[in-house]
Amino acid sequence: MNKILTIIKREFMTKFFTKGFLIGTLLSPFIMLGLIFFPALLGDIDQERTNHFHFVDQSGTLASQMNTLFNDTLSDGSPEFQLTEISPATFASDRQRLETALEEDAMDAILVIPENVLSNGKIDFLATSVGGLSVLGKMEGRFQEAINKIRLQDAGLDPDNVEKLTANVDINTLKVGGGEQSEDAFDQQMIMAVVFLFFLYMSSILYGNSVMRGVLEEKTSRIIEVLLSSSNSFQLMMGKIFGVGSLGLAQYLVWMVVGGLGFFIAGSTAPSLLNNISVEPIVFLYFILFYMIGFFQYSSLYAAAGAMSNTQEDAQGLSTPVTFLIIIPFLLSLTLGMQNPDGTISTILSILPFFAPMVMFVRMALVDPPMIEIVLSLVVNVAAIIFFIWLCAKIYRVGVLMYGKRPTVPEMIKWLRYR
Amino acid sequence: MNALVVENISKTYDDFQAVKSVSFELQEGKLFGLLGPNGAGKTTTMRMIMNIIVPDSGNIYLFGEKFNELHKNQVGYLPEERGLYPKMKLMDHLQFLGEMKGMSPKDAKTIGLRWMDRFGMLDRAKRKVSELSKGLQQKIQFISTIMHEPKLIIMDEPFSGLDPVNAKFLKDILLELKASGTTIILSTHLMDQAEKLCDEICLISNGQIVLQGDIKKVKKDHSLNNVIVEYSGNGDFIKSLPMVKTSDDYGNYIDVQLHDDRSPGELFKELASADLDVRRFEATEASLNQIFIDIVEKK
Repeated sequence: MNKILTIIKREFMTKFFTKGFLIGTLLSPFIMLGLIFFPALLGDIDQERTNHFHFVDQSGTLASQMNTLFNDTLSDGSPEFQLTEISPATFASDRQRLETALEEDAMDAILVIPENVLSNGKIDFLATSVGGLSVLGKMEGRFQEAINKIRLQDAGLDPDNVEKLTANVDINTLKVGGGEQSEDAFDQQMIMAVVFLFFLYMSSILYGNSVMRGVLEEKTSRIIEVLLSSSNSFQLMMGKIFGVGSLGLAQYLVWMVVGGLGFFIAGSTAPSLLNNISVEPIVFLYFILFYMIGFFQYSSLYAAAGAMSNTQEDAQGLSTPVTFLIIIPFLLSLTLGMQNPDGTISTILSILPFFAPMVMFVRMALVDPPMIEIVLSLVVNVAAIIFFIWLCAKIYRVGVLMYGKRPTVPEMIKWLRYR
Repeated sequence: MNALVVENISKTYDDFQAVKSVSFELQEGKLFGLLGPNGAGKTTTMRMIMNIIVPDSGNIYLFGEKFNELHKNQVGYLPEERGLYPKMKLMDHLQFLGEMKGMSPKDAKTIGLRWMDRFGMLDRAKRKVSELSKGLQQKIQFISTIMHEPKLIIMDEPFSGLDPVNAKFLKDILLELKASGTTIILSTHLMDQAEKLCDEICLISNGQIVLQGDIKKVKKDHSLNNVIVEYSGNGDFIKSLPMVKTSDDYGNYIDVQLHDDRSPGELFKELASADLDVRRFEATEASLNQIFIDIVEKK
């Protein structure tokens, strides 16, 4: 036991106090935030401009309404849409000239409302680029509304009455848990689940690879035999796994402290910033629990892959299947797990080893799975951890002293039978 | 008391038998040489003694107890393939290896530094392993083998790659440790080194012991009873003496092999009474090197 602790201490001290790790740990929260907010910021900047549109109304139904339909203003008070009408009579002869002007950026787009717009509901949007989705979406909605009104009137119905009768029904998502109801928090919970899931995924790959590289380094630098003369291969492997795993936990601890400080400062200076953020503290506990379950499963396989390799290339090849065991559950959690956390497949996946850490985490963060499933999942996965560590320790023990060619599968099966 | 008893250990890899039923006993305080050509099974035997590889059959007893993990702290092992963590500082590295042998962090540090001082590398204590030459790295490995005052030291080819100065330094320390009661096993293929250092030897070839025992006895047993004589005058009579088995005469230099039951002293008396000017008389012992080559080639 003392030897495992000595190994953990070495792993931790030599890796934690390196410039790369410290800088990476301190910078990554900011990079994360940047990745989330930067695209949104860019999108906002892009939208803040007036759209110069020319339009021709060959149906004669919408021209009079156009300015009221598109009377939005930008945040500085200037109009979002500047519309110029083209007479339908001259459009055909002017079209060439207008399109040239469009190409020379004299305007942003030409809208052609055809004669039969009421029956086939199609409007042409001529532009040199397809344009921002939000603008197109807005226009589609407005035209839809206006044309529907005209269609209703033509059918002899009162549009206002129809609107009342077909008023939207909204589903207000409320999550009930622990006696209190959190309104409007469901969306945020989805986002937080994705963020945490992403961290689970990243750290499983990152730290799993770190275990593999560590094992390979000990093998290629030939220190392994010195270590084996003081301890046994099981202690070495466990020390490596726990050492690197504790490094991950330390990193999370730093992030939680930094994040907590951030919340504290934001809370005391600008409380409104925090209105949109709510994380139940229990999610952190789930996160740590599933990080550890996943880490033990993946890293024991990575350790075995490292022990079987002689070069970085060997290790890359051998670790690819292990990496897939992380990527596939991650993608399934993002899709199936998020969309249907209580479905049969999600339920089964949340019990299976390698899938459980991410799928069960998502389920626990989004819905409250029955206690029996949680207990079953924990039992199955702890048993899986014991089994994989036993298996990988056997491979590790023989592998670390084998130099030369990469072993074949039958050879590895033989290794399991070595005394 | 026996420091180590190795009882019929064997190891087979797939279809290759690396070690075949090897047994030997080693008294406390002796220096034991494990000799043999490359691929003879020396390293596998040493790894089995350290329980790095588990033998297929046979037993190993250390100081009367069956070898177990706890014994690893009482043994210092220097493998043939040596390695250190390249990015660690020497001081930290020695401390780590000391702690792995059950030393307290404080002891590991002070004793590590003391040895570094003795090896004249205290000024490099804070340097990284990767900044050191191979020779200096070997010194660090050597310190890590002995710093926890093991009762048994096992060294696989300790002299390989060392310059003569450092080889002598290492030899002096080994003899010092032996004088203080430490039992030492070393493997080597440098026969003259083994001949001078070892009390007992065990010669392994193809995974089997082909020769073992006290070095003086081994050499005596394999003595060829040869004498070299350099002389002036008429020495023709020498080759026809009854005690001479074979001879090789060069005129004023003769290489004589005596019958097994006769001694070089008898020849000396014979020569002294003859009218011959003897300039050199040398009873040659077979060197360990010669024995080694003879036995291995005979196999």
